[in-house]
Amino acid sequence: MSHHNVQTDEQVLKKPNKILLMGNPNVGKSIFFTELTGIHAVSGNYAGTTVSFMEGPVVIGGKEYTLIDVPGTYSLKPTSEAEAVAARFMESGAVAVICVLDASNLERNLRLAMELTLYEIPIVYTLNMMDVAERHGVVIDMTQLRRDLVAPVIETVAVKGKGLDELLRQLEVVLKAAESSGYSCGKCEGCPWAAARDICNRACTRNASASPSFMDKLGDAMMKPMPGIPIALLVMALAIGVIVGGGELLIHFLLEPLVDYIIVPFFYNIFASLLPEGILLNILVGEFGIFVISFEWILALIFPFVLMFYVAFTFLEDTGFLPRMSVLFDNIMRKLGTQGGSLIHVLMGYGCAVPAIIGTRAATSRKERIIISAAIAFAIPCISQSGALIALLAGYAWWMLPAMIAFSLLLFVVVTLVVGKIIKGKVDPLLIEVPNLLIPSPKSYGRKLLTRMKHFLKDAQIPMMIAILIAAILAESGLLGIIANAAQPIVSGWLGLPAEAVTALILGIVRREMSVAPLLALDLNALQAFVGGAVSLMYLPCLSVFAILTKEFKVRIAVTIGLSTVVLAIFVGGLINQVGQLFV
Amino acid sequence: MSKIINLYEAKKNGVFQVTSVPDIGLLENLGLRNGTKVVVESRYALGGPVLLRIENTFAVAIGKDIATQIAVKEVVRQ
Repeated sequence: MSHHNVQTDEQVLKKPNKILLMGNPNVGKSIFFTELTGIHAVSGNYAGTTVSFMEGPVVIGGKEYTLIDVPGTYSLKPTSEAEAVAARFMESGAVAVICVLDASNLERNLRLAMELTLYEIPIVYTLNMMDVAERHGVVIDMTQLRRDLVAPVIETVAVKGKGLDELLRQLEVVLKAAESSGYSCGKCEGCPWAAARDICNRACTRNASASPSFMDKLGDAMMKPMPGIPIALLVMALAIGVIVGGGELLIHFLLEPLVDYIIVPFFYNIFASLLPEGILLNILVGEFGIFVISFEWILALIFPFVLMFYVAFTFLEDTGFLPRMSVLFDNIMRKLGTQGGSLIHVLMGYGCAVPAIIGTRAATSRKERIIISAAIAFAIPCISQSGALIALLAGYAWWMLPAMIAFSLLLFVVVTLVVGKIIKGKVDPLLIEVPNLLIPSPKSYGRKLLTRMKHFLKDAQIPMMIAILIAAILAESGLLGIIANAAQPIVSGWLGLPAEAVTALILGIVRREMSVAPLLALDLNALQAFVGGAVSLMYLPCLSVFAILTKEFKVRIAVTIGLSTVVLAIFVGGLINQVGQLFV
Repeated sequence: MSKIINLYEAKKNGVFQVTSVPDIGLLENLGLRNGTKVVVESRYALGGPVLLRIENTFAVAIGKDIATQIAVKEVVRQ
């Protein structure tokens, strides 16, 4: 995921020839960035999708500049770690600023613009979302706006690429002029609000006969408890149906036959004709061979669920559904010691914990960041792991998967409450802007989905291959037997699993789904499958999560979370087994 | 002259004018200041937030613990 490459600010801050893309949250900055640099920035319809910054080259008038997609901010007086980045960039100096204005929300957007003018850096304004403004009955006089801002103002429809050529032309002009001739305020009383209001009032005409569109009405209805909550629950149920059902269909009708009948035999035939029977051949194409397991696990087990997850999640993210969830379920999250806004990061965590934990930078308090990051590490299975869990539990009773979901929710509640008690400080209450409900643009939806799948394949491949190589070597070298023997009291005695299940605990260090996948081949009974699933759910987050926890917080927090997950997994897993034994 | 109440007690669909706000950066950044006109669009049970429409433009949800610190007075509709 693009979020994975979090650079140190310092190097980028020092770069010469920076052009900053600035604006309020959720005005479409990331789409400009993608259109201008060709680098895909992940955007979504809620404040705080870009919590770090992205940089990319852009050529204007034959000269190369570094375009920086700065996290959205309402003001240069930052209220979260993500917003602080914006203020630092303005202070670092830039040759020009592209200030993206949301036409449907002009006054508040101009207020940030007023703060930007204080830096005396040339600014080009783009006025985005004119269609939404018109729908709301607001007509904007561009000439008046240009006159008041003393700068170029370009009407754009970023998702369709409209107005971008003009933007580049105007940038070239202001860069040549090299000095700011723009509006500069900040001295008069009540500024920047007063100035923003004056400019907005002069440029906007309100048309009282605005008629809300169907999406506006639906968007409003989805914010009210009735029918918002039933709609939200229905959408969630549908999303789970699409992910589980779609994933299973892909596996059974496409990927499993492809792997079992075409890919694996293909590699088997090649290697069997080149190599004699023995350890090496087994490591390559034996039961746990690299060329067997990697396809069986990655292509026919994990990938289809990852794909279906992002098909659903990307859609919901682009519509503006997620902040509505935050509002509707803030009361529950508040009782858990956090606030509705963190629900967005939790839902992201069902995809991958790494961007979810980075995403918590949008949170206004450190305590909230730690609570949610810990809850994600302990109780929220990433989609790779969920895929493996679905495969593991599907073979038994129908209720096992719902039971596992209930268990994970219970775990989430407990972890959130406990961590909230341990960490000192306060969590700030919910305070978010709820964006208009939108139908995602097919172009940006498709592009985002493609980027996410590419990143998944790129990021997941190497750790998966390492895990598979370890599995192959353990199985073929006889080392597994020795470790299994040593771990038997815990694995078999306490957890009630076959001794070989220790493979899952070893591989689970590398990646989460690897703590489930080895169990698939062990012929477990229903109780063992549930215990194995529960242990893997609680067990260590993967190496990348450990790395990001260390980076975002402190080594101490990462180690504490890591160790506690192992202890909890073994302890609670064993309890489930011991209690379960009484009923079996 | 209408009575000053805290935002959490404000009734649904009422139009209110903000008379005092706590010192929270994000509130000010979202445009919630003294004098701002808001409509209470929705309220939520069990300690949920208050959903406001600010100056007839955008929607903001405010958690209970902030809403109780915001004072408003009702504006009589013409």
